Amino acid sequence: MSETNYHEDHGALADAPLIELVDVRAAYGTIEVLHGISLSVPQGSVVALLGPNGAGKSTILKVVSGLLQPTAGEVRLAGRVVNGAPADELARLGLCTIPEGRGVFPNLTVRENLWMATMAGVPLADVEEIAYARFPRLGERRKQLAGTMSGGEQQMLSMARALSVNPSVLLLDELSMGLAPLVVANLYEIVAQVSQEGVSILVSEQFARTVLGIAQYAAIVLHGTITRVGTPAELEDELSAAYLGS
Amino acid sequence: MQTFLQYTILGLAIGGSYFIAASGLVVTYTTSGIFNFAQGAIAMLAVFTYWQFRWGWNWPAPLALLMVLGVLAPLLGAALYQVVMKNLRGTSEVTKIIVPIGVMLGFQALATWVWNPTSSTPRQFQKFFGPNAFVHFGSIKVSWHEIIAFVIAIAIAVGIRLLFVRTRSGVAMRAVVDDPELLQLNGGRPERLAMISWAGGSFLAALAGILIQPMIGSAMSAGQLTLLVIDAFAAAMFGRLRSLPRTLAGALVIGLTTTYVIAYFPSKWTWSSSFRNSLPMIFLFIVLIVLPQDRLRGATVLRLRERFRMPSIRTAWIAGLVLMVVVFCLKVIMERTAVNTLTLALTFAIIALSLVLLTGFAGEINLAALSFGAIAVIVVYHFGTTGSGTDARTTLWGILLAAVVTALVGAVIALPALRLRGLYLALATMAFGVFVSRMVLTERNERDIFGLKFTIFTAGQLTIPKPKIGPFDFNSPDAFLFLCAGLFVIIGIGMVYLRHSGYGRRLAAMKDSPAASATLGMSVVRLKLSIFMMSAAIAGIGGVMMAAQIGTVNSDRFDILLSLSLMMITVVGGIGYISGALFAGLFLIAFVQMLDLTLKKFAVDYSSLEAIFLFFVSAVTVLPATIGITMGKNPSGAVSDIVNGLDQIKQSKSLVITLVGLEAAIWALTATDVITNWHFVILTMINLFIVPVIGGKVLLARAMRGVPKPVPPELIGIDRPFTSDDLAEMDRALDLEGVVVPSAGTVREGATGVSA
Repeated sequence: MSETNYHEDHGALADAPLIELVDVRAAYGTIEVLHGISLSVPQGSVVALLGPNGAGKSTILKVVSGLLQPTAGEVRLAGRVVNGAPADELARLGLCTIPEGRGVFPNLTVRENLWMATMAGVPLADVEEIAYARFPRLGERRKQLAGTMSGGEQQMLSMARALSVNPSVLLLDELSMGLAPLVVANLYEIVAQVSQEGVSILVSEQFARTVLGIAQYAAIVLHGTITRVGTPAELEDELSAAYLGS
Repeated sequence: MQTFLQYTILGLAIGGSYFIAASGLVVTYTTSGIFNFAQGAIAMLAVFTYWQFRWGWNWPAPLALLMVLGVLAPLLGAALYQVVMKNLRGTSEVTKIIVPIGVMLGFQALATWVWNPTSSTPRQFQKFFGPNAFVHFGSIKVSWHEIIAFVIAIAIAVGIRLLFVRTRSGVAMRAVVDDPELLQLNGGRPERLAMISWAGGSFLAALAGILIQPMIGSAMSAGQLTLLVIDAFAAAMFGRLRSLPRTLAGALVIGLTTTYVIAYFPSKWTWSSSFRNSLPMIFLFIVLIVLPQDRLRGATVLRLRERFRMPSIRTAWIAGLVLMVVVFCLKVIMERTAVNTLTLALTFAIIALSLVLLTGFAGEINLAALSFGAIAVIVVYHFGTTGSGTDARTTLWGILLAAVVTALVGAVIALPALRLRGLYLALATMAFGVFVSRMVLTERNERDIFGLKFTIFTAGQLTIPKPKIGPFDFNSPDAFLFLCAGLFVIIGIGMVYLRHSGYGRRLAAMKDSPAASATLGMSVVRLKLSIFMMSAAIAGIGGVMMAAQIGTVNSDRFDILLSLSLMMITVVGGIGYISGALFAGLFLIAFVQMLDLTLKKFAVDYSSLEAIFLFFVSAVTVLPATIGITMGKNPSGAVSDIVNGLDQIKQSKSLVITLVGLEAAIWALTATDVITNWHFVILTMINLFIVPVIGGKVLLARAMRGVPKPVPPELIGIDRPFTSDDLAEMDRALDLEGVVVPSAGTVREGATGVSA
């Protein structure tokens, strides 16, 4: 099915948004949590998903990354319908997801963690080079178990993967969770750089201010629906209302 | 010196084989988080299959080896993962333990079925290159087989180490345990890795089996080979299921010690052979005591697929009363043998209650319930009876003493393992079970302990008379039936009271999150210990009742495999329910026996189809295990389905009346001998299973007509706006009726006031 769609949409591929969700519904068991989400991420842009706890931001990212199959609607990557594609296949095709919490294997060393990133196709030597150049701290600790590092260092390690596997799409879930503001600012600087290299980024974040600085568009997610999409400037005023739930 | 070297080499070879089996356990545990209790059963199947090829059909050894190790064993492992183990993700630790045990029991039954131990001459299994292939080192003679075993063990140790550290697939196998989803996001295929590791684990088990069988020097026995894995368990525990070097060290120590015991213990010590058999268990205990404490779990909320509901105390009393009435009605129409079977089933149900208490309420696991029963039976036999001959009776004090002793033994067993995760306690109890079977129940010689002349298991069997409590004599089969039913009801209701008490709530809290419980100031260890002792005591009482029903019991009655079956069937029934225990007793004893008898009767009645019916007789032996294996699909158990079904039935008075009325009519017809007991059973089945299904469908269709589809509460406000009815309903549910809620306006003002 994805095959035919690919060919049909081929003409429009060049200007098709890299990620597109069309009326996506998703459920955990019998409880539906996304009630018809439509959203697109243009090539090379950063789109922020904003909203309070439990709004469905992470679920949207899970659906895009292939971890959760939508119950209705379409998920398109580069114009191609990818409903039903397993997460590992999407990852090997150039979709990089940094999940909520720390995206590291705690019982593997730093180097072994980076080794796992090579499944997307980049050789280990290159991954290590990029990672250690960007985060010298990781280079010092390449033989340390990832689980024994601090939260910030672990987040560096998962970001190192995003940097080094050369993805075309990057999904970031709650990058700032449990980290010091300074570290968060640092991490988002890197996200901005990555986006300048042409990577399309979809990022979910509870703390809106930081991410709005680098996002081209933002979508407010409430109760499993997108209530508003716009540029950061347009949304500035509505944000507090969204969070306070009026 | 020569003896020493000879036995050292044998010990290293046996230890090496233990290591190979243990490394298979480590590999599968590392990648799938499932402890493969069936490891020994796989080894056993491989040994029998290899024997069939090599000596049954006279294949050349290389071809037979290639077929077993290169093709069948890996295929079996991969299939096991794909069909069974894959479904265990997201289930509780209990289910993760029970399903592999189901596989183990299934393989065991399968092997006994295919390679019937009584139907042929003993099967001989030879060493590689025959029994006379030796190498001479000076005065020492070493068989090629032993050298091969040791060399392969070392090669595998090195190989697995390299795999896990130096190859990306190996590292990915370790990553699967940490976070399969994250591995997938990295582009890895966790399912495929786990399947490959199961294929590898199965290969290692098969290899270990073929290496070890000719070295232990006894005839091939399915049971013995299956339990051989316990020696490997001990080695794997030594490495905490993670470290291969320590696993190797543990395996070699076990291998060496067992051979030295044979070599150097004086032959006049009659217990040295059973001591040798019990060594791995002793090791396991030492390892459990020495292991450092686990971190308390509770950082992540486990979302389990198991769901249990506790009945209210009132429901428990009603259910107990109903059970007594049903037992009475059945007694009226049943023959003597059927009464005996039902009584036996009820005694097993009492033992299963101990499992419900421990596992269903507290989340801990005991795999050797019957061994605790055996302890109680020994106590009663020696201290708890009066009179002799036909006047012999078990006394109330004897039963109570047995319960106390069993509880104390339980405490000793559980204490070292309680600091650790559930799997370790499960293994400790299993080790205890094998220890009791091999060491205690084989004790037929008179011992002189502290001047006390004593024989533990006299002549290999103990006679337990029926009890007499106060003025009530339970010697007649009917009276004893009611005693057992009453005991089940009393203990069951007691457990419901317990579950509703503060103690019960603490248990539930501990089961959900030991870490949170500890931070609230509970002593988790004390709680676990007390519940384990209580459970052991119930198992003891049940065991005494079981022995009293049978009359004279031998050690087979307390076999560890029977304990495992009981545990498995209780989980199948629903480990969180009192009725799950009843289900277990009835299924394991009454239902299986009924099927067996029916099929055998058919085989005689329709002799042209005899082969088919006898096939099914054998198939029945595999049935419980097959049901256990399917647990992964429905981890809450059969009773849970029945309870849900009952809820639907209860909504319609007419259906309930129809059901009860029909059943009463069937019973009346049987009691007046209009129809036979066979008809009674079949009609009852139809009434209880088919009528509710049809009735339910009809009622549902009627109910659905004209009723709007209900909106789930979490979607109110999204799919349709809130109504005042919704708000009132929420207030009622949250117990907020009558609470004055400030209007939205005041809340907002207050909030700004705070922020300003």
